[in-house]
Parts: sequence; C-alpha cells; structure tokens
Amino acid sequence: MNKNTIGILSLFILIFGFTWYSNENFVNGYNMTNLVKWSSLYAIMGIGVAFVIITGGIDLSIGSVIGLVASILALAIKYEWNPTLTVVLLLGLSIVIGLMHGLLITKVKLQPFVVTLCGLLFYRGISRWLTDNQTMQYPDTEGLDSFFSGKVSLADSSFALASPFFFLVLIAIMAAFFLNRTIWGRYLLALGNNEDGARYSGIQTDRLKITAYVICSFLAGVSGLLFAYELDSVQPAQTGEFYELYAIAAAVLGGCSLRGGQGAIFGVIIAAAVIRLLRNSINLVGISTHLEFSIIGLVILGGVTADELIKRIVAKRRSSKN
Amino acid sequence: MIKKLTFIVTALAVVFITGCGSNSNNSTDGGDNKTKHKIAYVTNGIDPFWDLCAAGVRQAESELGGVECEIHFPTKGLADQKSIMESLMAKGIAGIAVSPVDADGQTKFLNEIASQTKLITHDADAPKSDRLVYIGTDNYKAGRALGQLVKGAIPDGGEVAIFVGRLEQLNARQRRQGVIDELLDRPSQTLGQIKFDEVAKVFKGEKYTIVDTRTDNFVMDAAKSNAEDAITKYENLACMVGLFAYNPPRCLQAIKEAGKLGKIKVCGFDEDDGLLQAIKDGHAYGTISQQPWNYGYQSVKVLKSILDGDNSLIPPNKFIDLGYKSVTAKNIDSFWSEKKKMAALGAKKD
Repeated sequence: MNKNTIGILSLFILIFGFTWYSNENFVNGYNMTNLVKWSSLYAIMGIGVAFVIITGGIDLSIGSVIGLVASILALAIKYEWNPTLTVVLLLGLSIVIGLMHGLLITKVKLQPFVVTLCGLLFYRGISRWLTDNQTMQYPDTEGLDSFFSGKVSLADSSFALASPFFFLVLIAIMAAFFLNRTIWGRYLLALGNNEDGARYSGIQTDRLKITAYVICSFLAGVSGLLFAYELDSVQPAQTGEFYELYAIAAAVLGGCSLRGGQGAIFGVIIAAAVIRLLRNSINLVGISTHLEFSIIGLVILGGVTADELIKRIVAKRRSSKN
Repeated sequence: MIKKLTFIVTALAVVFITGCGSNSNNSTDGGDNKTKHKIAYVTNGIDPFWDLCAAGVRQAESELGGVECEIHFPTKGLADQKSIMESLMAKGIAGIAVSPVDADGQTKFLNEIASQTKLITHDADAPKSDRLVYIGTDNYKAGRALGQLVKGAIPDGGEVAIFVGRLEQLNARQRRQGVIDELLDRPSQTLGQIKFDEVAKVFKGEKYTIVDTRTDNFVMDAAKSNAEDAITKYENLACMVGLFAYNPPRCLQAIKEAGKLGKIKVCGFDEDDGLLQAIKDGHAYGTISQQPWNYGYQSVKVLKSILDGDNSLIPPNKFIDLGYKSVTAKNIDSFWSEKKKMAALGAKKD
C-alpha cells in the first residue's frame, strides 16, 4: 500500500471511531448504507479527475457535465425518448466532451484550467437553456431507476448496498488495473512526472493526455446519471455545482499530486469517503450546521499537513540511516 | 495617417447618426406601446417559485392591460441583480418590482433607483430604503401556521427536526422562529422586532421538542443526506419540517428509503409537486403556500396604479400582506389544479 494511502486511511479510521463513540446509531445499517452510497458517488468523480491530475492537468467542468447529463436525461424522459438509448447517448456525449477537452489541451495547446473553466460555464449555460431552467423530476422508467439507484439488502440486516457502490467497485478495479498493471498506466505516471522526458523516450504523450480527459468526463457522465436517479430531481442551475472541487479534493487527499506523476485509486476512494464521513459525522455529533464547511476544511488541511510532516520525518530518518 | 483617422471618425459618426435615426423610427413604429407603462419584475434568483410568480405577472398584464412587463431572473445573486437593474434604468423603465438579495447592503443602490423610477419590493423587503411599498407575506405568521400543521400531524407531541437551505435569509429565520414559537406555545411576536433563537440548541416544550435545525446551502445531496442523518440520529423523530420548497421532497425520499413512510410525518413550505403528491397519498401532512402567483399579480397591479397616479393601494405602513394558504389532504385537489394552471402559464414563452 502506498504511504499516502496509509495516512488517509488513518484519518478515516480516526473520524469513524470518534463518530461511533459520540453516537452509537452511527453504525446502524441505515446510516452505513447511506455513507457507502454517498462515498461511492463522490469516489467515482474523484477517480475520474485523478487521471487528469496524474497528467499534471485539472478538470473544472465535472460538476457542469453532471448537471448537463442530468438535465438532458430529465428532458428525454419528459419527451418519452427510449431511456436506455438516452443513457447510451449521454455516455457518448460525455466521451465527446472529454475528447474536445483533450484535443484543445494537446493540439491547440491551451491551458487545462482555461479549457475546463470555459467548459464549466458552457455546459451549465446549455443545461439551463435546454430546460428553460425548470426543476424536473424523474419518474421510474423501465427499471433504469433500480439499475442506477436500487439497493441490494444483505440478509437479515438493515444494511444494503446501493447501485453506486457496484458501479464504484467495477470502475475502481478497472482504473487500478489500468494505472498499475498496464504499460499505459505506467506511461501516464511517467508523463505526469516529466512530460518532455516521456515524449523523448517515445511515449505518445498527447494520446495519453486525451485519454485521461476522456476518462474524466466519461466518469462525470456516469456520476451525472447516478446523481440524477439518486435525487430523482434536477435543478439545471444547481445540480452538480462545485462537485469538481470535492472530486479534486478527494483526488489530492487520496495521494494525487497536483504537480502530476502520482496517484493511487484506493487512496482516492478512501479520501472521498473521508469527505462524506465528515458531513455525516457533523450531523450525528450535532455540531452547528453553520460550522460544517469550516470543519471539513480544517480536518482536510490537518490531514494533509500531518501527512506531509510524517513523510518528511520518515525521509530524514532514512537518509540519516544511509 | 490623419486622413485615415478622419475617415474612420466620419464613418463612425455616420453609423452612429443613422443608428440613432433608425432607433427613433423604431420607437415611433410601435404606436401601441406608447400608451403602455413599461415595468420590470426582478426576482432574486432562479427557482420554480419564481416561475409561478411570473405566471401572475403575465396574468395581470393581460387582464389589467396598459402595462408591458419584463421579467428578469438574476442568476448569480447580488452583482447580477444590480447590473440587471442598472440596464433597466438605462433603458428608461417606468417602474420596477424587485426582491432584493441583500436588503441592508443594497439600501443605497435601491434609493438611487427609487429616485429615478417607481420602485416597490416583493417577497423580501428593504425597509430602510425609499421603496414605495412592500408586497409580501408575514413569514413569521406563516411559520406559526406551519407550526399548527405540525400540531395537526402529531397531536400527541414528539420530536421535530427542521431543514432549510440557509438561515442567512430573513424569511427563513422568521419561518423557523414562527414554527418554534408555535410549538412551544410562546406568545406571538411582532414582525420587525422578532427575537431569533440560536441554531445549535434543543428546544423542549410541554409536548414538542425541536431537536435540530440543519442547513444545506441549496445543495440537493446535502439536503437529502441531512434528512437521512436526522433519521439515524433521532430514533424517535416524529415530524420533519422543510422550510424551503425542495426540503420536504428530500425528507420524504429519506423517510421512504428508511422504511418509515407515515411513521415520520412531513410538513413543509411552498408547493413542490413531490410534496403535493405526498399530501395526496397521505405520506405528508400539509404545506403552507404563499400562492406565488399573487406576488406577481399584485406587483403589476400596484405598479400600474401608481403609474396611473393613484396611490390608494399603498397602506400607511407600506406593507401589503398577501397572506398564505394552509394546504392539507382536505383542499389538496383544488389547490393543486390551480398551481398546475399557473405553472403552465408561467412556463409559457413570450
């Protein structure tokens, strides 16, 4: 296990223990079901942006892509399009979005920050325009509801695993395999560490970068569908707003360096869980609702600082031993 | 070089003059519009609530005649609202009805507007400004009415949790205080001099205990998970109260998923279809509606009469209270059909 992952895992265990100690209902089946569900939703976005961050880039458009996908889905249901076909088309659309980002960044050589910031504005505007900015609901359609937001109860308990969890498992296995077990994954890390070096050693850096943006937008699209069915309602101006920041926080907290070249899928999942756990904990411990953001910010900052200090101490000891 | 410059300046001047000329032609073309008062209805954001208000505006426009109304929905809060109003002034609008985003901070700006046009406030007031009149609901009274709904839902008493988007808004604080005061059987307070209770405090009355108030900052997943967490934390929770339109449906979702439909009662504010359906199905007890279309209708009506030179609609205290409607299973059908009618009208494009 990666050293960064141990740090974030310890933080998770610490908050988990503290919340359990404060309120014994914390570990009941219903609450655990919810915690796993929300953590999975956030982790899927986090894994997507992790790929982009590994290349040294950033994607600020995730929340808007989620909003766009959720809005178009609602429209499609309203106009009685074939739901399954719509879902496939929407996933295709998110791939195209990622492809556009990748091409603009690699071929036109624009800054990722600018490209995806413009994306953030553009997709949000389109969602609002398409829907006339109306809040819309999702009635149950052809079992898609249970596919995206269903639950599988575990025998004799109130604990159930929600659809997003199964999506996450599948995505995480594929992402970890890609990153750690394929040559492309190693190239991706090399590219993040030293892009010129990677290019001179014959790696097709542009193609890899484009792939990273495609993965990111695709997973944002998947999250969009999951969020839509989870909340059964979409507000075109708000759905997904700021989610990119949580996703980026999860990726960085989980061990991806914003300078590129580092990343661990498991770490991102745990970090997403930490962010959700903090919210859950604040509610259950009964801390004033106004302090929520401060606590999340403070704990994340504390965690990252502790992690950095520990790393330095370890490095120092190692160098003095040598 | 100088020749070039002269050419450009002359060309620009020609374009400018012809441009002005065609503009003035345009305005004389619409002979009809000349007699109509041009007014604007400015909201504080985008929300289905405002679409229902817009429906009232359109209805008044066609019923009353003699007014032409623009409706503006600022998307990004204060700054956006300000620039919209500035451009309305530049266009020379005759009257504006606005729901100020931040009443106190905007007073100076609103006074500037009021000095140049007829300004009224709706939904949220700016009492220190020179606005001519405020059209709205006494949210404290409406909160007390919501408290009465809670009493109807759980007559034997029990634990109550409150959910709201944010408490920075005055109407949210007033509603919350109304609910708390009603459930604790406190005497009624006067709007404008209300003492607000702390947020992180449990209020224990004879029968009812208000265990918590949670905010979600308009983030839908937070609204839902707040409701879920309350179900986890308070095993004996008897009633959930949602103060903003989207809160009750999120509470209902969480209750449904916890398998406690009917066991935990829901009372709410506004008229989200999800909540209305739940009232019809017996899963929620009731809601307080401000009948938003009245906001739009009355704003146009009052502005028109002011522009016609008649100030008789303005009461001495400068507050037109539009009241509220309690909706329960008893009157859900008639209320919902009216809402549907208004929603269709509001969504219609010009």
